[in-house]
Amino acid sequence: MDFFDSIIYGFQVTFQPINFLFCGVGVLVGTLVGVLPGIGPAGAMALLLPATFKFSPTSTIILLAGIYYGVQYGGSTTSILVNIPGEASSVMTCIDGHQMARQGRAGPALGIAAWGSFIAGTISNIGLMLVAIPLAHAALRLGPPEYFALMCTGLIIVTYLAQGSVLKAIMMGLVGIILGSIGLDLISGFPRFTFGINELTDGVGIVPLVMGLFGISEILENLERSLEREVFKTGIRNLWPSFKDWMEAKWAIVRGSLIGFVLGILPGGGAVTATFVSYAVEKKISKHPEQFGKGAIAGVAGPESANNAAAGGSLIPLLSLGIPPNPIMAIFFSALIIHGIQPGPLLIRQHPDLFWGLVASLYLGNAFLLILNLPLIGLWVKVLEIPYKILFPLILLFCLIGVYSMNNLSFDLYVMLFFGVVGWIMRKFGYEGAPLILAYVLGPMLENALRQSLLISQGSFLIFVTRPISAAALGFAFFLLLTTLLPNFKKRRQQYDQFKE
Amino acid sequence: MKTLDQTSSLFWLLVSILVFAESLRIGIGTFQNPGMGFMTFGASGILGILSLVLFLQASGRKEDLRHKPLFAGTLWRRILFVLLVLTVYARVMPVLGYLITTFLLMSLLFWVLERKRMGFVLLYALLATLFTHLVFSKWLNCQFPQGLFGF
Repeated sequence: MDFFDSIIYGFQVTFQPINFLFCGVGVLVGTLVGVLPGIGPAGAMALLLPATFKFSPTSTIILLAGIYYGVQYGGSTTSILVNIPGEASSVMTCIDGHQMARQGRAGPALGIAAWGSFIAGTISNIGLMLVAIPLAHAALRLGPPEYFALMCTGLIIVTYLAQGSVLKAIMMGLVGIILGSIGLDLISGFPRFTFGINELTDGVGIVPLVMGLFGISEILENLERSLEREVFKTGIRNLWPSFKDWMEAKWAIVRGSLIGFVLGILPGGGAVTATFVSYAVEKKISKHPEQFGKGAIAGVAGPESANNAAAGGSLIPLLSLGIPPNPIMAIFFSALIIHGIQPGPLLIRQHPDLFWGLVASLYLGNAFLLILNLPLIGLWVKVLEIPYKILFPLILLFCLIGVYSMNNLSFDLYVMLFFGVVGWIMRKFGYEGAPLILAYVLGPMLENALRQSLLISQGSFLIFVTRPISAAALGFAFFLLLTTLLPNFKKRRQQYDQFKE
Repeated sequence: MKTLDQTSSLFWLLVSILVFAESLRIGIGTFQNPGMGFMTFGASGILGILSLVLFLQASGRKEDLRHKPLFAGTLWRRILFVLLVLTVYARVMPVLGYLITTFLLMSLLFWVLERKRMGFVLLYALLATLFTHLVFSKWLNCQFPQGLFGF
């Protein structure tokens, strides 16, 4: 099949009734999750995952991708109207989006967010098609040392981009690796760290872990505080941005799309980072940086484009290398494994229906989301007005159902509650869950690659620096670590000098 | 325990020591033939070192976090109640079945924040239970426990 035949084939797959339905349900659920606080994209994917067992892997991935895309769209609504980001990737939209709403320009803010997301999503889809296949071909030449180095780099980037302390993020990564090693050893087949608990032989499940760390802990955190939130009352008019708005936002959309796509591909990158970088770039190059924070439309268009482009870009390392670059992709990875598909360089060749169906569904999902987020914006505003005292029991129930229906085991519920409490305490102590989840998923692969590399090299660690790709990847990771640690050393040195004086 | 970071670093240090010891017990092998404790041996070793670094960093820090109570202003009784109810739910659901247990759970959860209107609480609990049963059990074929009463 040539390129265009493949695209047509992808649309044929996507327009099969079940896939079409899953695409629609995915973006609908994703938008809902983006609007509501509590579950998050990872939790929502984990929740619906058990329900997909009797469907094909293609339908499942289309559903999950729809959720991921939908969350990026939905998150902007709460950011603009309530000044509370529905998701972390919508934090930057709050700054100027809510100011626009306060100035009576909620309509253009929501409109440019939706159009920016649509354009960026389309650009990143094209990028996905162009980059994923050559990368998958190139990846066939990679061996265990290269995989080990790339995964290490991904983990270092995640910790480097952590919102809090880098040291704590690295510690969480290590805890994730330890958690990922619970269960049967991949090579010897013996159980380890199971402490005699039979249910742990298969390891700690990703669904209870994610639901606990992200879903339950967020609910517990919300329960600590007053549960009221105020939706900014304003008429939502003129959802189609004016010509002037378009002129001010057009390059922000293009730049946001490119930044999001590139950062999405990088291991450890993702939608959250892309929005921060995009906002910083827009403010830096703007002729009127003083308007940022006071309702600049470029401050909405850039980050909203970036988070959607990153969503598409982050599929590339997963589908062509088999390496999930961020925690959300880790759920995708698990979903593929559960359905018996090994993500990696051979995926596109062995499962063209999955790859091209997914690509086509991203186009369709983007179109769905434009319809959901512009004409139906009033519906999402109504959803925002549902009191949290009604929402929180329902979110909890969905978490319980999602976790239980995975294996029909009460043990998984205990695991989820345990990690819910752990996640809640981690938030209080300033530890992030994202590096832990990514390391938990990458841990077994990392261990496998390390042990295989050492077997190949007969115990020599030089194998990681004598091969160009692994040397470059590890060198980059080392450089990132240095740039993080050097300012600390410098600060310590200054403190020491001051003390000496 | 003077600061939050000191407390947490000591906790992670303890975890790292336990994992380190267990890794040694299950066998770390050699560089030529790594054993099943090899990776966790390394990870726990680095975790232990970083925990110590965090402890020292926190100890040398100037700002005083020691008087900031962790649960200040927290409605911790509410959280404790919700956690207790969820734990009991996980224990009782296989015995009493999905419908009864979920109805009781939802009644208690709605009651936590809306104690005055019992009619509202029971109605919402019933609707939530029936709706999720219909969607997940009937439409999506999720297997919920039927319990003693067969439903």
